[in-house]
Amino acid sequence: MNWAEFKNIFNDCRLEGEKIIIESNLLKTIEFIKTNYHFNMLKEIIASDNGDGTTELTYRLFSPEDEEDLMISINVKDEAESISSIFESAVADEKEIFDLFGVKFIGNSELKRLYMPEGWRGNPLRKDYQENDERLTWNE
Amino acid sequence: MSKLKLNLGPQHPSTHGVLRLILELEGEKISSCEPDVGYLHRGMEKMAEKLSYIQYLPLVDRIDYLAGFFYSELFCRTVEKALGIELSLRVKAVRVLLLELNRIASHLLWMGSFLMDLGAVSPFFYAFRERELILKYFEKISGQRMMNNYFVFGGLRRDIAFLEDVENIIKILPDKIRDYENLITENPIFIQRTKGKGILDKETAFNFGITGVNLRASGINLDFRKKDYLYEEIEFNPVVLDGCDAAARYKGRILEMKESIKIISQVLEILRLEKEFKQQLINPLNLTLPEGEYIQEIEAPRGLASIYIKSTGEKSPYRLKWRTGSYYSVNLLRNILKGAYLNDAIAISGSLDIILPEVDK
Repeated sequence: MNWAEFKNIFNDCRLEGEKIIIESNLLKTIEFIKTNYHFNMLKEIIASDNGDGTTELTYRLFSPEDEEDLMISINVKDEAESISSIFESAVADEKEIFDLFGVKFIGNSELKRLYMPEGWRGNPLRKDYQENDERLTWNE
Repeated sequence: MSKLKLNLGPQHPSTHGVLRLILELEGEKISSCEPDVGYLHRGMEKMAEKLSYIQYLPLVDRIDYLAGFFYSELFCRTVEKALGIELSLRVKAVRVLLLELNRIASHLLWMGSFLMDLGAVSPFFYAFRERELILKYFEKISGQRMMNNYFVFGGLRRDIAFLEDVENIIKILPDKIRDYENLITENPIFIQRTKGKGILDKETAFNFGITGVNLRASGINLDFRKKDYLYEEIEFNPVVLDGCDAAARYKGRILEMKESIKIISQVLEILRLEKEFKQQLINPLNLTLPEGEYIQEIEAPRGLASIYIKSTGEKSPYRLKWRTGSYYSVNLLRNILKGAYLNDAIAISGSLDIILPEVDK
């Protein structure tokens, strides 16, 4: 894809290594990339806790036509826009991230605990997760 | 018509593990499906943040116990690429050999259990008979039948041996696969149960992130082995079919086993010529990765598998994430079962080759 053209349309983004880092407009950016550059597949969404209350979400897009990868990254606090209207596979990824990181995706109607039981306290992959005895955190 | 809620699983034998599907029925038709996973969650990603790289290595085979070599390879590869370790030709060839044998074993088990789901019991025993040859071989070289832990950072536990066993396996298998095809492929009952069932078109497949045989059976030529550095010197053709249904996915796996046999015979040729076994092992006790992010991918039997490691230079990863093919196939069930008849639900979900430890991680 053409980086210069892309940079013209979305001003608040920068290239860092192989990643495009954006500040806002997640949904619009991904929609634009999908329709204009044939990135028809979302391989996965990677979440990583930055340790300062923010979470880095990395969207790995893939173009089956050109066999090309693209990574879009954004830092969010506790809320992010859901891209499940563009990619159905994002429903699964967002569910997982909601369970393990506690990021709420606005627009995803399926958000609930996935691996952890209902009523579990905390989000295990956050760096500030309190590791108590499981009997204490279960269904209290 | 009033709706009926039906729980399929988690203890149903044909859910291949512990998958619970909450189906909503209108008469005999499924109007919605909601998969409920997590019964096998072991916290693989959380454990990685606590353990050093060498402590985590034996665990990665357990992400998918039917295709453990693939996850072992991914994890070792990430460390090797990060530290700039080059593998010798013999080590690369051995890895391809074991990956492809593992792929055959995995597809055989799938075939047996899929046919069992459809009500045919005997193919299950045939499939396990041939799979046993491969598992016996794995046991001979690594001491384990399933979770082998044979790949290490920079090479192998020890040099490969008993190659005559592999020669024997690839001599026997083509005949056996012909037997399966005679028994199953043209079987009218099998055709009726799978032909035109669980249609997955290209658009939906991309939209749901489906990869592997399930994608190639929908007419898309996308095999990540083509770009894989291990497969550089090996010639093979990805199996691409355009049936889009459960029958095509079955056919795809059968043909893929034949393709794997071709790959193995090429690898055996390489191993015959390249006798020198050298590897560049590293001391795993003080192993750290340079700061940064690492992503590696591999074509596993159930679709694209990838690993993401974020390292801060500590002894254990800051963040480790697995992408597994089955996780997205389970998500696809929400869509693909909609409008299907209840008695096709097992045939459709079985044809996607879902394995639950891979989903739950």
